[in-house]
Amino acid sequence: MSEAAMQNRLFIPRSCLTTEGNKTGSWRFLRPRYEDKTAPCAAGCPAGEDIPKIEMLTAQGFFKEAWETILQENPFPAVCGRVCFHPCEGSCNRGEYDDSVAVHTLERFLSDTAARYDFRPSFARLPSRKERISVVGAGPAGLAAAWFLTLLGYSCDVFEASPEAGGVLRWGIPAYRLPADALRQDLRRFEREGIRIFTRRPMDRQFFAEAAGRYQAVILACGHGRGQSLSIPGEMEVGVIEGLDFLRMIRASEMAVGGGTEAVIVNGAGCGRSMDTLGEGEAAAEGSEFPGKIGEGALSSFDGLTAVIGGGNTAVDVARSVIRLGGKAVICYRRRRQDMPAFADEVRMALEEGVALEGLVSPAAAGRDGEEIVLSLRQMIVAGMEGSGRARVIPDGDKMKEVRVRRVIRATGAGPEESWMLPAVEGTKVLALSHCRLVSGEGKLVVVYAGDLANATKSVAHAIASGKEAAIALNALLREGSEAVIPRLQACAVGDGPALSMEVCLGGERRLRSRHIVSYTEINTDHFGFAPRITQPRLLVEERVRSFAEIDLKISAGLAMKEAERCFNCGLCNGCDKCWLYCPDVAVIREGEARRIHYDYCKGCGICVVECPRNAMSLGEGEGEG
Amino acid sequence: MRRVIEGSHAVAEAVRLARVQVTSAYPITPQTHIVEILSEYCEKGALKARFLRMESEHSCLAALIGAQLMGVRTFTATSSQGLAYMHELLHWAAGARLPIVMAEVNRALAPGWNIWTDQTDSLSQRDTGWIQLYCEDGQEVLDSTLLAFRLAETVNLPVMVVLDAFYLSHTYEPVDIPTEEEADRFLPPYAPRFRMDTAEPCSFGALVPPGDYMEMRHDMALAMEDALMQLVEIEGEFTRIFGRRHGPIEAIDCNDAEIILVTSGTITSTARLVVRTLRERGEKIGLLKIRLFRPFPTAILRETIGRAKKVAVIDRNCSFGAGGIFAQELRAALCNLDPRPLIYGYIAGLGGRDVTPEVIEEIYRRTQSTDRPEAEGVWIGLREAL
Repeated sequence: MSEAAMQNRLFIPRSCLTTEGNKTGSWRFLRPRYEDKTAPCAAGCPAGEDIPKIEMLTAQGFFKEAWETILQENPFPAVCGRVCFHPCEGSCNRGEYDDSVAVHTLERFLSDTAARYDFRPSFARLPSRKERISVVGAGPAGLAAAWFLTLLGYSCDVFEASPEAGGVLRWGIPAYRLPADALRQDLRRFEREGIRIFTRRPMDRQFFAEAAGRYQAVILACGHGRGQSLSIPGEMEVGVIEGLDFLRMIRASEMAVGGGTEAVIVNGAGCGRSMDTLGEGEAAAEGSEFPGKIGEGALSSFDGLTAVIGGGNTAVDVARSVIRLGGKAVICYRRRRQDMPAFADEVRMALEEGVALEGLVSPAAAGRDGEEIVLSLRQMIVAGMEGSGRARVIPDGDKMKEVRVRRVIRATGAGPEESWMLPAVEGTKVLALSHCRLVSGEGKLVVVYAGDLANATKSVAHAIASGKEAAIALNALLREGSEAVIPRLQACAVGDGPALSMEVCLGGERRLRSRHIVSYTEINTDHFGFAPRITQPRLLVEERVRSFAEIDLKISAGLAMKEAERCFNCGLCNGCDKCWLYCPDVAVIREGEARRIHYDYCKGCGICVVECPRNAMSLGEGEGEG
Repeated sequence: MRRVIEGSHAVAEAVRLARVQVTSAYPITPQTHIVEILSEYCEKGALKARFLRMESEHSCLAALIGAQLMGVRTFTATSSQGLAYMHELLHWAAGARLPIVMAEVNRALAPGWNIWTDQTDSLSQRDTGWIQLYCEDGQEVLDSTLLAFRLAETVNLPVMVVLDAFYLSHTYEPVDIPTEEEADRFLPPYAPRFRMDTAEPCSFGALVPPGDYMEMRHDMALAMEDALMQLVEIEGEFTRIFGRRHGPIEAIDCNDAEIILVTSGTITSTARLVVRTLRERGEKIGLLKIRLFRPFPTAILRETIGRAKKVAVIDRNCSFGAGGIFAQELRAALCNLDPRPLIYGYIAGLGGRDVTPEVIEEIYRRTQSTDRPEAEGVWIGLREAL
């Protein structure tokens, strides 16, 4: 044995100098970078809400900031938290993992929280401009347009025919889905932002002549408020009631209850009366069958069976309202249940509440037999499928059936009050966009058709999308000319569009995000665990059918945070620091909330990018950007 | 306390008694039983160690290199492809002078895919700077593993405790398991001679220029040489506590033997039977078991078998183009002796094929009946036609 070994020598390399002199970043071929991307929910939201950010802030307990994030893209969180059909949840990546995030429930929670603490939002807003814009119709589209134009610096006047603002939100959607208080919660902000809403100001041709002198543009968003006739023999004779009128009458009764001043009586035999006459105290007393003063409980005659014709949300709203008024309802629809355009959840709840559904029948004639109406229904059969996935139906030979009902309410689609409200389809001065139509008319007045007048899909979210598109397009047109409209819209697109972002339009941070829509396969699910989706608490069926009280109940902050934590935050860095934790070269630097890569030492192994649970990082060649 | 346990469990018992603080695991047959038991021990608290489930054997050893540098006692186990995958880090662990202990269950390398015993996996790591101990039975597995920690920590080199797949890893035998008090008496807590400390930041294993590298490597070589004497000394202490000694080698009837069989691992047990039987018939046969392969006990071997006429080495391994690896090592060890025995190399039992008493006797007879080795490595027991 050598002496050295006997002494058990240990000669090893050990250095107390820093290794920072070895700039291993020079070995790099691929370069990771932080790159926020677009979440599928945000692109799927017609209003383009920044949902991953909303849920991130909610999970972190920043409820006000989360609520303000909604408001940047949508002035109606209290409304949409209740009535939106939440296409976001349908495109949620988490849906492929266990169950989609309850974005809808969380939006409602944030609006409840904002109301509870009376949050006052702060906004990015451009300096005032000289142009004035007039908006016709205080429904979701018109109000959204006014809201976004205000943020863009324009002063807006809104003209509304009925006694209160809200349009379909106020008069069309039943209170059990959208109570008036919830709507007022959103509407109050319009006043605070200086948007003037003139009610009881019906629209006519004369308006344009006057508007041309005072406004640079008119946003025409007066909706589809006039129901379409069934065009069957006996329709007029038996007094088929228009569904929208029926819903309007019920909502108007809240004014009678609330204010106690305006008696509301609806003419049951007519085909609808425009709201400019409603609520004026004018009594249309000849509504022989129909009860007046619903709000005061004069409903004794509303018994027996009511047939509701149609398969959309209006039909379901009508049928569920009939149940709440103490009657019975059967929905007669020409296709099958799964083909109904109404939201599936609404149909399910309607059936729970006792609404009957008669599928594959089409009304053929109506006749009166004493107190009852005999409704003849043509039986239909499925004869293949349409491109949209709905069944195509044809009459089943001559097969007929009859139902005896006390009244018939139709909900088979609607159109504008006046035909001239429909936009021109084409022409040199017509610019047809996804959700609105710009027409540069004679003189300088620009007319923008928005909302149901220009939307293929008639939903609240699409109406808001229309208002936003109208505002951004109009701004581009007024500032830079018609050539700029399309490029400006494209620059504000969320993902592939057509959803648009006002934050991007106003130059906010969201403009830095990649348009790439994060797919489920790009989520590193190793960093997540299965967690059950929150169940929306609701009134019991027994409670529901007795009143128009709101069905969906509030949730606690604890439950909301837990649900928000389920969000993958697709494409959005939430500071989880997995990159920092996994970087083998200690090349991720944390500076407060921000993270950056120290490229002197990053070897480009890409582990950070792979480990990023939410695809908020990218790996690429080149040393250029980011 | 004597209990009937698997060879794998004998390893695990020793690791428990050694109070290992970090163990890493990646499953591979036939090693998996070892880490399975350890995971149970960690779960139940019988072993207060951090059990790291890694994504590969490469990471298993990398994790232990990091852990051992922090000054804790570490252990892992692997086999075959897993060991091959660790190759780069085997060099690193030894060069960094980290006393990591590993159980290596000998398994054939693929392809063809084969999970049975074969020494080529561990022997092809002979130049990595790891001490290697080859075990014959369950008791020796337990004793060698416990001793390995003491030996490794004394010379600051990692130790590989090698056992045959199935014949040893999955075979139940009576094994005397020391008490914790006895084990603690033999193996004190790890006292690292160097460790990472965030209070005094420094890096280990950094750049070493030509002016120092050789000295560093020479130091390693000296430590490896020293390991033989340290083993003998440590085993002396082991014997005082536990009453057992296995030695770097074991010689049976070698003093007057004309032909000495050289074996390692479980083949030794079979060879003991053959030697006893042939001795009863008056044959001058001896048996030498090699337990310590690295460092290779050259001096002891020269002394023990240098006077024999013929030495027949049974290799359950093959270095292609150079025959059996134990035979090569023995040739090298004895070549400067004069006179020296003839070295007969036999390759048998690859990929788990049984080496029966008949096979061993055939080897003896062939050695006896030929004046000179037929080849550097004679393959025994090949099927005649495929």
